[in-house]
Parts: sequence; structure tokens; C-alpha cells
Amino acid sequence: MTRFVFMWEKMSDTNSSMAMKRSASTGSSAVSTETIEALTELDELERVYQQLCEEETQVDSELEALISQRGNIETKMLALQRMGPNLQLIEGDASQLSGMITFTCSLAENVSSKVRQLDLAKNRLYQAIQRADDILDLKFCTDGVQTALRNEDYEQAAAHVHRYLSLDQSVIELSRQGGESSAVDASLALLQEAEQRLKALVKERLDQAIADGDLAQVERFFKIFPLLGLHDQGLARFAQYLCTQLASKAEENLLLALGGELGERRAALIFADTLTLLLEGIARIVETHQPIVETYYGPGHLYTLIKHLQVECDRQAEKVVEKFILQRDYHNKFQIVQSSMMRSVSTEKMEPRELDPVLLEVIVMNARAELYLRFLRRRITADFEVGDATSPKATVQEHQQSLEKLLKHCLLSRNMQELIGYYIPMEEYYMRESFNKAVAMDTYEKGQLTSSMVDDCFYIVKKCISRALSSSSIDCLCAMINHSTSVLESDFREVLYNKLRQGFPATTLQDIQRGVSSAVSLMQSSLQQGKFNTLGIESAEDAKASFLVTLNNVEVCSENIITLKKNLESDCAKLFSQGFGSGEQAQAKIDSCLSDLVCTSSKFKDLLQEGLTELNNTAIKPQVKPWISNFLSISHNIEEEEFNEYEANDPWVQQFIVNLEQLMSEFKAGLSPVIYDTLTSLMTSLISLEMEKAVFKCTFSRLGGLQFDKELRSLVAYLTTVTTWTIRDKFARLTQMATILNLERVTEILDYWGPNSGPLTWRLTPAEVRQVLALRIDFRKSSALIWLCHCCHGQLEVRLEQVVTDGQSGGIGVGGVHTDAVGVWAGIHGFRTENWRQLEDSVNRPTNLGLDTLTTCRRCRPAL
Amino acid sequence: MNVLCLFAGPGLILGEIPIFAMLLSMEDYDYLFKIVLIGNAGVGKTCLVRRFTQGLFPPGQGATIGVDFMIKTVEIKGQKIKLQIWDTAGQERFRSITQSYYRSANALILTYDITCEDSFRCLPEWLREIEQYANNKVVTVLVGNKIDLAERREVSRQRAEEFSEAQSMHYLETSAKESDNVEKLFLDLACELIREAKQNALVNNEASPMPGEGKTISYLNCCSFS
Repeated sequence: MTRFVFMWEKMSDTNSSMAMKRSASTGSSAVSTETIEALTELDELERVYQQLCEEETQVDSELEALISQRGNIETKMLALQRMGPNLQLIEGDASQLSGMITFTCSLAENVSSKVRQLDLAKNRLYQAIQRADDILDLKFCTDGVQTALRNEDYEQAAAHVHRYLSLDQSVIELSRQGGESSAVDASLALLQEAEQRLKALVKERLDQAIADGDLAQVERFFKIFPLLGLHDQGLARFAQYLCTQLASKAEENLLLALGGELGERRAALIFADTLTLLLEGIARIVETHQPIVETYYGPGHLYTLIKHLQVECDRQAEKVVEKFILQRDYHNKFQIVQSSMMRSVSTEKMEPRELDPVLLEVIVMNARAELYLRFLRRRITADFEVGDATSPKATVQEHQQSLEKLLKHCLLSRNMQELIGYYIPMEEYYMRESFNKAVAMDTYEKGQLTSSMVDDCFYIVKKCISRALSSSSIDCLCAMINHSTSVLESDFREVLYNKLRQGFPATTLQDIQRGVSSAVSLMQSSLQQGKFNTLGIESAEDAKASFLVTLNNVEVCSENIITLKKNLESDCAKLFSQGFGSGEQAQAKIDSCLSDLVCTSSKFKDLLQEGLTELNNTAIKPQVKPWISNFLSISHNIEEEEFNEYEANDPWVQQFIVNLEQLMSEFKAGLSPVIYDTLTSLMTSLISLEMEKAVFKCTFSRLGGLQFDKELRSLVAYLTTVTTWTIRDKFARLTQMATILNLERVTEILDYWGPNSGPLTWRLTPAEVRQVLALRIDFRKSSALIWLCHCCHGQLEVRLEQVVTDGQSGGIGVGGVHTDAVGVWAGIHGFRTENWRQLEDSVNRPTNLGLDTLTTCRRCRPAL
Repeated sequence: MNVLCLFAGPGLILGEIPIFAMLLSMEDYDYLFKIVLIGNAGVGKTCLVRRFTQGLFPPGQGATIGVDFMIKTVEIKGQKIKLQIWDTAGQERFRSITQSYYRSANALILTYDITCEDSFRCLPEWLREIEQYANNKVVTVLVGNKIDLAERREVSRQRAEEFSEAQSMHYLETSAKESDNVEKLFLDLACELIREAKQNALVNNEASPMPGEGKTISYLNCCSFS
């Protein structure tokens, strides 16, 4: 029941009409009449009755609720009825507004279409005015041209024609179609006729002026051409004029040159001078006429003018070059040079000095041509840049290409390339021949370190390369650098190498046998070279000096090459800063050639090293070795008494030092300081090596060790004074040996070894340490041996306390740090009697022990 | 005890190591080879070089003036090879300039044009020049260029191969235009030069071969003249 009420309330709230329908339907369908009639049971009847009653009350309440709403609805209806007339009013207003808007809209459209019409009219008016103007202009031009022509005022006439030509052609066409066509036609015909006439006239007058050589007239008509749209023709004719001027001047110059009536001073360079005059003349022409061309023809036209001029330049330059080749016998000279270079022995050899003037002249010619071409490049590029400011990239590139083509492939360039092509082999010949001469005329003055050959040769190289450099041709320069490299590296190095191969003769006074064998080897080497050098044997002193001088020469060469490269680098930088050479490429080429050149320097250094090694082996080693073997004859197994005697009378080291001093003084005087230093360094290495060998052949007592330590210190102190290198490093091993031999007791080695070594780096291997220890007589008898682990350099102290001979009982009593190593070793190898004996023997000769397996401590062999 | 002060500390030796390492790292390549292209004018030397170094085929190239110089670094089996390529002018008047480059060249590429009998006939003359100016260790490769113009071929492959065999040169046919065999030409040459350089190093050092160097190194198939 409550549910029903609830539902009802909900329904009535939202939609009363729905609720009504619903209640009506429930009223009629809840209990149908048929059901009631069919009922027979009282209970059921009562129940249905009850139900119906409930429904009735429900319907009543619904009705009441509806009725209660009636007043409310009526008020609303009343309000609506009152609003009716207002709405009608609004409708009227709205339609009125709409009408107004439509009207305004059509009005606006009307106005704008009229404005458009006006605009069109205005445009047409303008066009009409323009046309009228044009026609007037045309008329004016027609009249103007006529009068101007009549007055021979060609500038005026051309200006009129120019005006006509710049008129819009379509406008003229339109004008002809108009009503007044006949008048315009007549004017046009007149104008065209005038234009043709003017063109013909101007051409004729210009040609006339050119023929007359009247510059003022030429320039006057030249200026008219661009007005008539005849740029190219104008430039061509003008260039033709300039060319004739040029040609006559050039021919005059050439005749003058061939006449040879000039001062002797310039006679050698007369063709270079003539070429210079020609090129300067063209440059001046370009200079003076560029403003006219620029003003009247606009930018970008200089190229055309120069292209025409270049043809004449090529023609004239070729004449000069031809005459040069003829008069200087250039080709013939080249032929001689080439044939003598091909065959080493030639019947007809040319004196290199004879080539000097002609080489110089070629170089000057090329330099002038390069300068001229660079001038053209600069001018044309600048002109193109102004003209091409707004042009597409393709045009700019096309212009660039045509410029390159003009400059690089013009006949002038080709002629110069040919001259340079002949120049290079001739310069190479000049260099090689001069080199040979310098080598042949090599002299050496006493007191000087080097001989004349080195200075001469480098003077020649410098001269040849500088000459090539002054040609301003990068390729020419590179080629000469290449040739210089090859001459220095093969020819010159060969000369020095052969000199060194003759060897340094040993001093006969000290070692006759050695001297004889050296002389024999000297003869052999001379024979191998195919020439018998008697001088070498006759005078050993000379041979000695020659060897030392050659060493100095080699060193100076290596230095000179580096200097040469540096100088060339700065010279090239200067050349580039003047704008020669096309940028990075040229720079890279020269850098590469120069780096090849500088590589030669290290080859000379290698040669020097070889020579010094040879000197060390032949002159120093045979002397030093016996001096050191003297060390062996001095006993170091000494007692207090002998030690004291040694103290008073030094038995060995002082004499050794004096001998060394004497030996080296010769070299100190004859060698440059740098080489001498290297030689002493080689000598000290030799001494340290030989001393080591000697020490190992000696036996020492405690005091003997001390003596050796003293001797070594004197020696090191002396050698330190004669070298600038630090030699301590070379003597490190010996010093360490001295330290070992100087020990009080064997076990002291442990203060220096392994973890106790501190800042000291051992240069001796553990085996060597053992070996040195064994040199001490007193250590041999000691029952203690020191074993040093190979891996960790930790010490293994093995003290053989009891040596068992029967092999049955007892064992090795071991003590020390890594005792277990020995025990383990013995266990693995199954120590047998003979081995024990060996071990026993070793007590006295520990170096023979040969038990290196033992000398790896347990820490390093954890696997055991 | 003052004997100790005589020992040179380890600093001297250790101190040199970084300088040496620095010098090594400054050189940004393992090998540097000079290759010079020679041959008659107009056989396509410049185009071969341009194709290889820049990947371009510039048509309408003007004749080379003197020599041109290009650098390309290639990597072969992890090694950086710097190739310095000298492109020379074929015209007679530049001969004396180009000849000066022969001596320092590691390799020469002698080029001819397969569509031009003349350029082939000049080869013996070129070989004479090589004989005269180049060092005797130089590697020479014969290259027949312009195989893209096969229909205009005037020199048969067989003829060229026979010629190169008789002169014990490598032979390769290329097309700079179609980029045929250009890369192969230079890379094979680089491989050959490395091989020679290694051999020389071994001979010079007279040392036992370093680990890895002692074995015969099998060159990649792409890097062998066959």
C-alpha cells in the first residue's frame, strides 16, 4: 500500500496526466467485472470488496488532488490570454526590420558595383593616358630621331630609339589596332626605319673611327651601341679597336727588343720585358676603359671585352714567346739537357751556369703572366659579382666556369705552361750538375767542422727552389721541391754515405794489427766502389778528418733541410697572402711536397747514427776494451793492506780516465757538439756494457767490493763531466752491482730487495743478483743462500742447516721467509740421493745450482 | 747507504711514455699512401678521382692543369688508411711537372680509355717513364676506363689483360660514370699497399713476427686482385 502511495506521489510530481491514465487503468483492470461475477466464495468476495473500496478511496484522493490544481491552472491561462496582443505587436516589428535590412543590403551592393565600375574606368583611363603618352612619345621620338639624325646628333637619336625600344611592344601593337592606326603605323615605320638607319650609321661611323684611330669618336659611338641594344657588337668593335692599338704597340716593342739597342743590363731579360710591356699595356687598357663599359653597358660586360682582348693578347704573347724560343735557343738547350740527363756520359755537356739567364727569363715571364691573369681574375670576378647580385645560382656558376676557362686555357697560359714544362727539367739539370760540381770541388779547411760541399749544395737547392718560387706557379714550385727532395735524398745522401763507408782508420800507434785490417777493409770497400782511393791509405790522418767532417756534414744537412722547409713555408705564406694559387688546394699540395722534403732530414739523421755507430765500433771499442780488461788484472780479492795500497796508488781507474780523455779529445775537436754528445753517449753505453762483463769475470772480497764501488764512482763522476746527458741511467746496473758487492752480510740484500726496495728500481734480474752475490768469495762460504722469487721478487731464504748424505734419514732443514717452497719442491720431485749431493755441492757453488723451479715462492704458485 | 742515490728513479722512463702515446694519437691514420694517376689526356683520370673521393661525375670537365691533389681516408679491417691521390694532367706540356711526383709515389694508376686505341698504344711509353722516374718498389695498376661506352670499345679486354700480364701489372676495367669498379680499384690497391708495407716492416725489423702478424693474413675476398 505504501508503495502505491509513494508511486503515486512520484507520478503526480512529474507528470499528472500520465498518473491519471495510470490510475484509470488500475481502476478498471485491478479487478474485472467478470472476475467479480465469477466469484462464489464469501471470503474472496470480501477480499475483492475490500480491494475495490481501497481503490475507490484512492481514486477519490486523486480526483481531489486534481481539482485542487484547477485554480492554479486558471490563473496561468488568464495570464496567457493577456499576453496575446503583445505578441502580435512584436511580430509586426520584426517583419518591418527584415524589410529594412533587405533594402539596405541591395543598396550597398548597388554602391559597390558602381565603385567597381569606377575603378575599371579609372584604370582604362590611365591606360588610355599611357597609350596617349606612348603615342605622343612615339611621335616625339619619330620627330626627334628625324631631327637628331638630320643634325647628326647621334646620341640624341639613339636616346630616342632607346626610348622607343623600351616602350611596351604590346601597347604599340594595340595602338595600331585602334582608330588612329594609320598615323601610328606611319610613325612606327619611320622609327623602325630610323632605328635601322641609325644602327647602320653608328656601325659605319664606329668602323670609320676605328679605321682612323680616332679615340674620341670611337668612344662616342661605342657609348651609343648599348642604347640600341647592341651590347655585344659594341664591345666587339671596341675591343677590335683596342686590339689594333695593342697590336701595333706590341709589334713596335718586339721590333725594338729584337733590334737589341737597349742597355746591356736588361738585354738578358729583354723578352720578359717585352712580355711585361704587352701585359701591362692590356692591364692599363682594362683599367682606363672599365669605367666607360661599366657606365654605359652596365656591370657584367667586362668579361666580354676582356675575352676579345685576350685573343689579341694571346696572339702577341705567342709572338714574343716564339721569338724568345728562337733567339735564346730554348728548345735546343732543352734537347741538350735532356739527352745529357738520359745518358750519364754525354759528349755535349752544358755548363749549368750557361742556363742561368735563360732560366731566370722564363721565370720572370711566367711570373708576369701569372700576375696579369690574377689581375684579370680579380677585375672580372668583381664585375660579375655586381652584375650577378640577383641572378640565379646557375648563372653565377656558368659565369665562374667561363672565367676559369678563359684564364686557364687561354693561349697565353698554354704557352707559359709549355715554357715551364721545359724549364723544370733544365732547372733540375742545373741543380744536379751544380751539385756534382760542388761535390767534386769539395774542400775542407782545418779548424772548420764542415766542408764546402754542404754549404754549396744547400745554396744551390735554395737558389733553384727560390727561382721556381718566384715563377708564382705552384705546380712549378712543387715540382722543384720534389726534385730537390730526390737529389738530396738519393744523390747527395749517396755521396755522404760512400764517404762514411770508407770507414774511420784505426790508430796504428795503438793497435797496428787493427790498423792493417782497417786498411784492408778500406781497400776492399774502395775496390767495391770501383775506384781505388789511394789517398785514404796514404794518409790515415786525412781519412780520419774526412770521416769526422762527413759526420758533421750529415748533421748539418739534416738541420739545413729543416731550416729550408721553414723558410719555404714562410715564403709560400707570403705568396698566398698576395693572392696567388687557388686557395686550399695549392696550400695542401705544397704542404705535402714540403713534408716529403722534411722527411729527408730524418734520413740524414739515420745516416749520422750509422756513422757514429761505425766510429764507436772501429775507433772507440778496440781501444776501450783492452783498458777495461786491465781491470781484470787488478785483484779485487784483497785484504786491508792491499786496500790501503790501492788507496795510495790507484791501480786502474785514474789511468782509464786519462786514456778516455785522450781518446775523446780528438773527437771533441773534430765533431760538432751535438754529434760529440751522441758519440760520448754511445761510448758510455759501451763502457758500462764492457765493465759489466769484466765485473762478472772477477772475484771480490768485502774490501774488493768497496774498492770497486770507489772506482765506479770516480768513473761515473768523470763521465758526468764530459756529457750533457744524464749517464746515471746507463750505469744503473753497474751501480746496483757495486751495492751488492759492497754488502757486509748476505742477508743485507733483503734490505734492498722486494718490499724493502723503496724508491729503487732493480735493473738486475734475480738470477743476476744471485750471480753477483756469488762473486763475493766470502759469501760463497756462507751457509746462507738467498733465493729470490721470480714472480713477486720476494725473497726466499733457504738455509741449508743440515745436509744429509745418505739420503735416508733427516732432510733439509730450512728456515727463512718462504720455507714451505723448498719443502713442497722436494716433495714433488722425489728427492733422491744424487739430488741431495747436487744440493750439497751447490753450497759452495751456488750459481751452478740451476734450480730455478725453486725460485718461485709459494704465494705465486698457490696451485702447489 | 748513499749508494742508493746513484740509482736513477723510474721517472725518466715513465715520463717518456705519455709523450710517445700523444704523438701516436696525433696521427689519425695507420697508413699513408701516395697514389698517382697517370695516362693520356682525356682518359678520365680526374673523373676516377672525383668519383672515388667525392662521389661525383662532373661532366664537361676541363683538362687538368698541372696536378690536382685529393685526400680520402678509408677504413680497411679496422685500420685507417689515408690515401693521398695525385691526379695529373695528361697533356704533354705538363709531363715534366707530373714526372716529379713519380719517385715518392707508393702506387701508380696507369689509365687508358677503352674506346680510344691511341691511349692504349701509348702505354709502353708510359711504362718507360715509370721505369725511368718511379722507385722500383712502386705498385702499378693498369686501368681501362669508360666501360659504360662498351659499344664504342676499341681495345678488347683480352688484349689489355695480355698486355698487363706481360708487364706483370694488375688490370681492372672501370667506369667513373657508372661508378663501376672505382671503389674496388682504390680499396684493392690500398690492401695491396698495406700488405707490402707489412712485408717491408718485417724485413726491416728482422724481428720474430709479432703475435697475429706472423700468420698469413687472409684478405677479404673483396680486397684481392683476381
